[in-house]
Amino acid sequence: MPKSSPRTKAAVKLPPALAAIADSVIETKLPNGLRIRLLPNDAVPTCSFYTFFKVGARNERPGITGISHLFEHMMFNGAKKYGPGMFDKVLESNGGSSNAYTSNDLTVYYEDFMAEALEKVIDLESDRMRSLAVTPKMLASERQVVIEERRLRVDNEIAGMMDEELGALVYKAHPYRWPVIGWMRDIENITRDDCLDYFRTFYAPNNATIYVSGDFDPKQALALIKKYYGAIKAGPPVPPVLDAEPEQKGERRAQVHHPAQAPSLMIAWRGPKGDHPDTLALDVVQYALSVGQSSRFHKRLVHELEVAVGVSVDWTWRFDPGSFTIGLELKPGGDPLKAEAALAEELEKVAEDGLSARELEKAKNNLAATLTRELATNSGRAHALGTYEMMLGDWRKGLALPSAYESITSVQVKEAVRKYLSPSKKNVVTLVPETGLEAAA
Amino acid sequence: MTRAVTSKLRPLKLPQHERRRLGNGLQLHLVPRGPLPLVAVRLVMRGGSVWDPTGRAGVADFASRLFRRGAGGRTADDISEAVDFVGAALGGYANEENVVLSLSAPSKHLEAMLELMGVVLQHPDFPSDEIESARRRTLAQLQNELDDPGTLAERAWARAMWGNHPYGHETLGQRRSIEALTRDDLIEFHRTRLSPTLSHLYVVGDIDVDRVTTVADRIFGSWKGGPEFAPHVPDWSGPKDAGHVIIVDKPEQTQVQVRIGAAGVKRGHVDHFPLIVMNAVLGGGFTSRLISEIRVKRGLSYGASSSFDMMSGAGTFLVSSFTKTKSVGTLLDVALGEVKKMRTKGPTPVEVDTMKRYISGLYPARLETNEAVAGAIADVQHYGLPEDWISGYRDRVNAVTAKDAAAAAAKHLFTDQRVIVLVGDARGLTQIAGKYGLVTVAKPADLE
Repeated sequence: MPKSSPRTKAAVKLPPALAAIADSVIETKLPNGLRIRLLPNDAVPTCSFYTFFKVGARNERPGITGISHLFEHMMFNGAKKYGPGMFDKVLESNGGSSNAYTSNDLTVYYEDFMAEALEKVIDLESDRMRSLAVTPKMLASERQVVIEERRLRVDNEIAGMMDEELGALVYKAHPYRWPVIGWMRDIENITRDDCLDYFRTFYAPNNATIYVSGDFDPKQALALIKKYYGAIKAGPPVPPVLDAEPEQKGERRAQVHHPAQAPSLMIAWRGPKGDHPDTLALDVVQYALSVGQSSRFHKRLVHELEVAVGVSVDWTWRFDPGSFTIGLELKPGGDPLKAEAALAEELEKVAEDGLSARELEKAKNNLAATLTRELATNSGRAHALGTYEMMLGDWRKGLALPSAYESITSVQVKEAVRKYLSPSKKNVVTLVPETGLEAAA
Repeated sequence: MTRAVTSKLRPLKLPQHERRRLGNGLQLHLVPRGPLPLVAVRLVMRGGSVWDPTGRAGVADFASRLFRRGAGGRTADDISEAVDFVGAALGGYANEENVVLSLSAPSKHLEAMLELMGVVLQHPDFPSDEIESARRRTLAQLQNELDDPGTLAERAWARAMWGNHPYGHETLGQRRSIEALTRDDLIEFHRTRLSPTLSHLYVVGDIDVDRVTTVADRIFGSWKGGPEFAPHVPDWSGPKDAGHVIIVDKPEQTQVQVRIGAAGVKRGHVDHFPLIVMNAVLGGGFTSRLISEIRVKRGLSYGASSSFDMMSGAGTFLVSSFTKTKSVGTLLDVALGEVKKMRTKGPTPVEVDTMKRYISGLYPARLETNEAVAGAIADVQHYGLPEDWISGYRDRVNAVTAKDAAAAAAKHLFTDQRVIVLVGDARGLTQIAGKYGLVTVAKPADLE
């Protein structure tokens, strides 16, 4: 079987622990297009099995928003061989557990299990890829579960409400506009036919990548994967997603009025695509501004001005331009305008002067440490390498990130901030605490 | 029905665990384990919030978070810069029973970070401006958390369960006690509550055992003071508000957070393994009875679970879920019904067999990171569990029979001594709630 060859790429020298992981990877592709990556490691007698499907809220359209996520739930509700309720029962009785998540770009399924259960997991996963059953009864019940999940994460959760508002502000045309969980009315109205159509379009083996990590024999694992997945037919190519997002021509603002103890702020800009070189400069910016008590935002807003309880920056890579988002939890009575002005000043300083050599090095040290920590578990290795492959096209680029960060300069940081985080392209959502019934308390 | 499960399990490769004792009594637990160039360090000191004096709830947590905000003449900024620069993380906090200083560092920076840890442990300056700033931030946090229905449910639950028992000292403290803390309280806490004789230092990861011993002796060997013996945790006579329903009124909610609480068992209880297997059947895994009845069959909620929280002096049992306002009665009936069914009839042999595989099969994955290994060893030490707790864990799980699990359910699951907490719109709840006990309506601000 083909062994990976990390050194065929422009000779990046990896630190020993990362080189060992790179050398262990075995990769291949079945004739039906299913991509397979095996990461054997016998440190503990368990395995993790990940299936990455390149489909998420990005592939939806108005009217069926949230179908990716609802569908993810349906994947646990029965297929041809293992009927309703069987997936988790069989898995748990074989010493395993499963879960899944849906993002804007991806739907990811994973199992952690005792090493002896590998064949059973492959059997279970291939069964639902081959022959998922979407019964009206299971769909009706699961729809209620998802509605309750939406109530939990969005309708009764202030950060969820604000985030939903922010998406619709940053994006006018791109499907990143709607929340991954979908609009409530869409969740209520998605049909069984929508689900079946969705399954045929996006759940074929040629749109999937499998990562297996842990205590197993690679030869045997590959033979099992071939046995169970080999006969699943390839589907037609997945329809491309058009990024029709127009250029933003000025600042945009929205408010959320809701009973709350304190105002809060979310500010976002549209950044580059995940695989764009500028993404790495923005990673450095994110760390310098928000990671650790010595970071610029933390020092200024939490300790110096004492206007905020906490500040965070989220810069998540996506297939199409994602958003660079600052979240600010203010103190009761805190002034959102003052906080926003301070954030703007800090960004302007970076746009003018870049970062000091020490700050640059600090950000790079932390980025490398974070990457290394992700690789400590079977699940972490499979997830990290799989995500790098989805986002960057090759897991090797992920392991080479520490050296890629090394080359980022203060000038690149400065230019990235000017280009992407300019005042005229910002989007601001403010939570306005409402003095309703609650405030009478 | 019992399958020969144990024989099939692949062995756990447990790393070598070296113990050393310094002259001042501090015990070192050193576990060399690669391959990543990382180290996890935990200094566990028996002095947690349970021993916070009356009127000073929260002092342990508040003070330990301030350790790194100025120590040995170095400013907070100086310390933060040193920690952040090398990609490390260093912090202090308190839980119910312990004060913990934790450090995660790339191995090449371990010694420098241990030096810093020694300084913040032994010489915190507690600068007045940092105290005031932290006080303002903590008070703001306590208030902001009133917006989170889950946190409100936890706070109301803890008070209804513990009453005046010191396990009810919420680690962050409450508004009044945080407002009252003085610098002298923090100094007093540091001087009298922490001692090397009652502390254990765990260092797990890419290390050389002898080198770390020498370094630890140099840094922590001179640490002195504090109590010789751990103070006693007073006995607990069960939930304070047993038979009551506490509603926390948040009129804007369309969903209700539901908690049911009752007495559980202390850590290390002889029924530990039958209980965890039984609880996995009831509300542990993804095929549990609660998930099956509440989520899968009825679509009432996205989540439903039950759990035992076991501490040295007492333990609790919790059922947790949420649903839309009009379904609360159904959800409570189903949840209480499932607990009763488990108590009276126990789990089936097939269920027990399934959960034994589930728990024992996944157990090794609970020992994958340096932090997890340090935590597991620290638990064995802290709760005085048998030496072979970790190596024998899977065998003990697999030895549980359906009869054992049923007996544990009959003995430990509640009958009527339980507390119910509902966080949501009281207008839709008071009438439903009356069926389950004496109803009290609280406001979020009562829980600050």
